[in-house]
Formats: sequence, structure tokens, C-alpha cells
Amino acid sequence: MTESLKLSVDRRDNFAVIYTEGYINNQGGEEIAEIAYGLIDEGQKVLLLNLAGTKIVNSIGISILIEIIERMIAIKGKLAFCSLTPTIEKTFHIMGLAQYAGIYPDEDAAAAGLAE
Amino acid sequence: MPASTLTRTQPPRDLPNRVVAVGNGALWRELVALLEEDAPDTAFLRRAFALFCRGAHATEAAFYRQEKDPNTLHRFCSHGSGEFPEDLSEESLTGETLTAYRPVPLPQGVLLLPATAHEPEAECALLAAALQLQELRARVKRQSFRAKYRGVELEALYDVGLAITRTLELTQLTDEILSRAVSLLDARRGALYQLQGENYQLRQAIGGSAAPRVTAQNEDVAALLRTGRSPQPVEAPEPTDPDLASTLLASARFLAAVPIELDDQPWGLLVVGDKEHRHGVGPFSAADHRTLGLFGHHAAIAIANAQLHQQALEKERLERDMELAAEIQRQLLPEVIPDVPEYALGGWNRPARQVGGDYYDIRPLEDDRLLLVLGDVTGKGMPAALLVSTLHSALRLMVPRLALGPEFLRRLNEHLLEISPVNKFITLVLVDLDIARGRLRYLNAGHNPALLLRRDGAVEALPAGGPPLGLLPDSSYRTAEYAMGVGDLLCLYSDGLTEATTPDDEEFGTERLAQLLDAHRQDTPAAIRATLETTLHRFTAGQPQGDDQTLILLRRDR
Repeated sequence: MTESLKLSVDRRDNFAVIYTEGYINNQGGEEIAEIAYGLIDEGQKVLLLNLAGTKIVNSIGISILIEIIERMIAIKGKLAFCSLTPTIEKTFHIMGLAQYAGIYPDEDAAAAGLAE
Repeated sequence: MPASTLTRTQPPRDLPNRVVAVGNGALWRELVALLEEDAPDTAFLRRAFALFCRGAHATEAAFYRQEKDPNTLHRFCSHGSGEFPEDLSEESLTGETLTAYRPVPLPQGVLLLPATAHEPEAECALLAAALQLQELRARVKRQSFRAKYRGVELEALYDVGLAITRTLELTQLTDEILSRAVSLLDARRGALYQLQGENYQLRQAIGGSAAPRVTAQNEDVAALLRTGRSPQPVEAPEPTDPDLASTLLASARFLAAVPIELDDQPWGLLVVGDKEHRHGVGPFSAADHRTLGLFGHHAAIAIANAQLHQQALEKERLERDMELAAEIQRQLLPEVIPDVPEYALGGWNRPARQVGGDYYDIRPLEDDRLLLVLGDVTGKGMPAALLVSTLHSALRLMVPRLALGPEFLRRLNEHLLEISPVNKFITLVLVDLDIARGRLRYLNAGHNPALLLRRDGAVEALPAGGPPLGLLPDSSYRTAEYAMGVGDLLCLYSDGLTEATTPDDEEFGTERLAQLLDAHRQDTPAAIRATLETTLHRFTAGQPQGDDQTLILLRRDR
């Protein structure tokens, strides 16, 4: 049974990873945005969203993720996603998120990609 | 100020002329450059405001915009040392509290300027134009977002259609359907129920807890489903009955539901709760109800497919089990018929199904003796086969240890009474042949009389000497002895042979069997059996075999 979104953050040398577990909807998206904007305010310019624990995203959640991407672009930072389900990855491609944010199969690939 | 002030976003109609007239080209060029950056809304507003303050030489200014509360404008950014209130309400805009400031309505909000200062009309118009352009661009982006998301919806429906053929595991399938329905309808929560008896039992829930079960007779649920089933569902802007909403999905205010029906029979219930918007939740639209109905239809087909697949797998497993059981049962029967000098001997078994309830054994015993056994368990198929296996084990254990006589059958009866289910019993015939002397010790527990065809054509039906085994406690049995002369033919058989019927239900019978044996008594046992089989096939007009058929033939040749 899926409850509200659970989030955790791991700060690395060059980027921070936000781990999600649960449904990314309006509430979940707002929680991600709050954490992401907090990290940006701390000076993080590279963020990785690891969605391994997320099976569902709705359109409101996607619109909030787009806002975070726009914020990252505004500060000339980078945002990437990893460990997406095939359904979510397909959705991100259709919605155009993949044009502005890297999509990687796992965290190692994302770390390598973000380091370039 | 009228109530519409808070939401008024239209710039003055003569804006282009005024923009041209004011000639503040520097500010306009900076605003256009900012627009071209395609910055997010909030960043754009802050920077446009900053450009305005600089271009207009404003010492104090603040920009307010609506956030979550539709009745309040929240201070978004400010410039200078003025003490601007944090929020502006309708009253503060229309009353006397804002005497120090003058509100200037703009697209996306209100600009507050000191009341005493000269209003930078031209710069305000330029800012309004830029905000209006930004607003238009945002609207285009929203439309583009909706168009793209429509693509996601179509993909999802296509994927669910594909899942019908791909996903055959029921839990995985219902999880997929529920997830897709919840995300596509922007529902905050959802649940899928399966009808079990009188109740809908919860299978899966998303976005919070759901009632573990709901009675299928619930009138409110029925009414909710009628809405979902209507070909033209109506918009239902009112919150769902709070009792019903909380009955199904905890904390939900708006529900939409669709029944899942297989072959017009209710199977389950797909429920979603609370359509999400950016700043809260609302009811589901008619289009949402139609989409949900489509999911319910897909779900029904997919679930029916998955169930058929499960049944096919189960059938395949049962067939494998039956084949294995048949193999085991074949191993219970003699692999090779012993060669007994001066006798012709044969034994056959043909079960009506893969496994059967007939049993036979032919084994040499000590002291130049031969054991013939033929048994028939009531019923057919797996239950009968299990009892055959029990009989086989018991005989293998008892024969070397106990003399074949009434006490043997009495103990076997007690053993079978202990372990065989009610209404299951075994008829059994045992023959202990003294090979050299041609003497038969004959034990019959409720089985068809064996036929002893004498050389001169006489037929003796050797009667039973007690009831079937495993039927009655304290049963007693008798032993009979017969002499077998040269040319005599002994036939042990099961009733599957004599009770084979014509399409008109006429039985083959013991008499026809005896006549056939007599007519072919000089043939080898295998040839006699082949003739019997051909005759039975003709007699029954090729109807499927109704019962297991077992035959042992023993002829003394010298």
C-alpha cells in the first residue's frame, strides 16, 4: 500500500541526491521542490533525483519537476534523474523533461554523466 | 476598488500607443531580453520588477501576487525601505489602511507605489506589457503541457492494452491497472476491490489507507457505480457523500468508481479519490469518468485473460500430476509376466482414465507356487488410484509374512478400514496356484466370480467368500480350493469388461465373456485378449471406455 512520499538526501562531493519513495503527486512534488530549493539555497548546483522507490507520477507532480528543472536552468545548474521505471521514463520523454534533464539507468551512470 | 481587482490581469487597451509614446526604450529592451531568456515565472517576476524599479527610478515599490489563498495577495518582492504589508486583502485595497500607498493593478498581481510619488505611468505600462507577454507564454506552456500529457494518457491506455496480453499474474496486473488509473486521472488516492461472497475485499490501495472490505449491497456504492457506468457521465462538482467517501478511501472528498465485470458478472471495483490540482483537490470531470470506465473495461479483459491463464496452468499442472501418477501406477503393475512352465499366462490392465482403480499382480511364490491378484477399487481416477497404491503396498508387505487364507483377508480388511475413506472399498480376488499339482487356493472378497472353463466346455463361476475389503469391520472370509486340469482356463477379470455396454445400455455380461473364452481357448492369452478387445470395441460401438478393464488368463497346457 503506497502512503505519502518519503524523501531522503545524500550530499556528495559534487552533487546531492534526493531519494524518493512513493507517489509523486501534488503533495509529493511540493515536498521534493522544497528540498531541492533548500539545496539550491545551500549552493548546490547539481541535483540527482533517484526515483527507484517511485512507481507513479501524475501530471501535477511532473509540472512541479519541470519547475525545479527551470529553477536549475536559471541558476545554470544541472538536474538529472536515475532509476526510473520504464513507464516513468517514457512519460518524461513524452513530456520533454529529458531535453533539459539527464536520465540515467542508475546512480553510478548518473554520477559519471554529471561529472562530465 | 471592485472585487475583481485581485484577479484583473488585462493591461490597458491603448498600451501599444502608450509604449511607443513614452519612449523608455532602454527599459523595454531590457524587458524583451528578459522575456527571451524564458526564465521561470518567479525568476522573471523578480527580475522584471527589479528592472522596473531601476527604469522608473522608484525609491519604493512592492509587487503582490495571488498564491494559495484566492482572497489575498501576498508580497512577492519589494524595493526600498518602505514598510509594505506582507499581505493585501480586498479590504486593505479598498479601505483607508493603505493611505501611504497607491495600488497599480497589473497582470499577475498588484504593484504598490508610494501615494505621494509621481506614478511612472509609462514604466508601469511597459511592466504590464511584459507581464502580459509572460502570462501568455505561460498559458502556451500550459497548453503545450496538456497536449503532451494527452500523449502520456494515450500511451498509458495503449500500454494497459498491451499489458492485457503480456501480464498474466493477477496481482501484478491489478497493480498496473490501479497505478495507471490513479496517475492518469491525477487522483490523490485509489483502491481496487475484488468481490468475495457478500463483500468487496480490498486488493490494493495507493495514496493512503482504504476500507478493507465494503458490502456489495451498499446502496451508496451502487449509486456511485451508476454514475461511472452511465454512457454520458455527468459532472459531479459536489463532494461525494462524506460517509461513503470515508467508507471507501480514507480522507477522500471526491470519488469516482467503475465496476469490473467479467461476462456480465461483478468481479470488483476500481475507485479513485480526489482529483488533484495545483492548489488542492476537486471533483472528477465527465472525461475522467469516461477514462476510468475505459480502465474498468481494460481491467475486466485483462483479469479474465489472467484467470484463464491461471486455469490453463493449473490444468497443465494437474495433467502433469496425473501423468506422473499414471507412471507410478504402471510401475505397480507387473512389468514382465513370469514364464510358468506348462502354463500359458497373461495379464493386462487398461484404465478408463490416465490412472485407474483396477489392480493386478502375478508373482511366483516360494514352494513352486504362483500368486494371481486382481482387485477393483470403487470409483475411478486419482482417489481410486491412491487406494490401489495402498493395496499394493499392503500386499507386498503381507504376502511374504502371512499364509494366504481367511486370516490374511481379515487383516487386510482391518488395515484398509483404518486408512481408506468412507464409501471407498476394494473387491479382490487372490489365487494361490500350486504349479506342479494344478491346485488353486481361491480367496474372493466381494469380487466378480472368476471363471474356470473346463476342458469339456463346462464353465464354473467361482463365488465370493466374503464381503469387499474396507467396507465392514469384523468381516470373515472363506477359502475355496479347486483343481485345474490340463486344458482348463482360469479367467480373473474386472467388471469394466463385463459391464461394457452398447449405446442402448446392454451389458456385455459374463455369458458373452465365457462364450468368447470358450471359442478361443486354444489361442495364446495375448490373442484371446486381443480378440476380446476387438469384440468389446464392436459391442460398444466405439464408445469411450466407461470403467477400468483388467484381465488375467491362466491355462494349464500340460
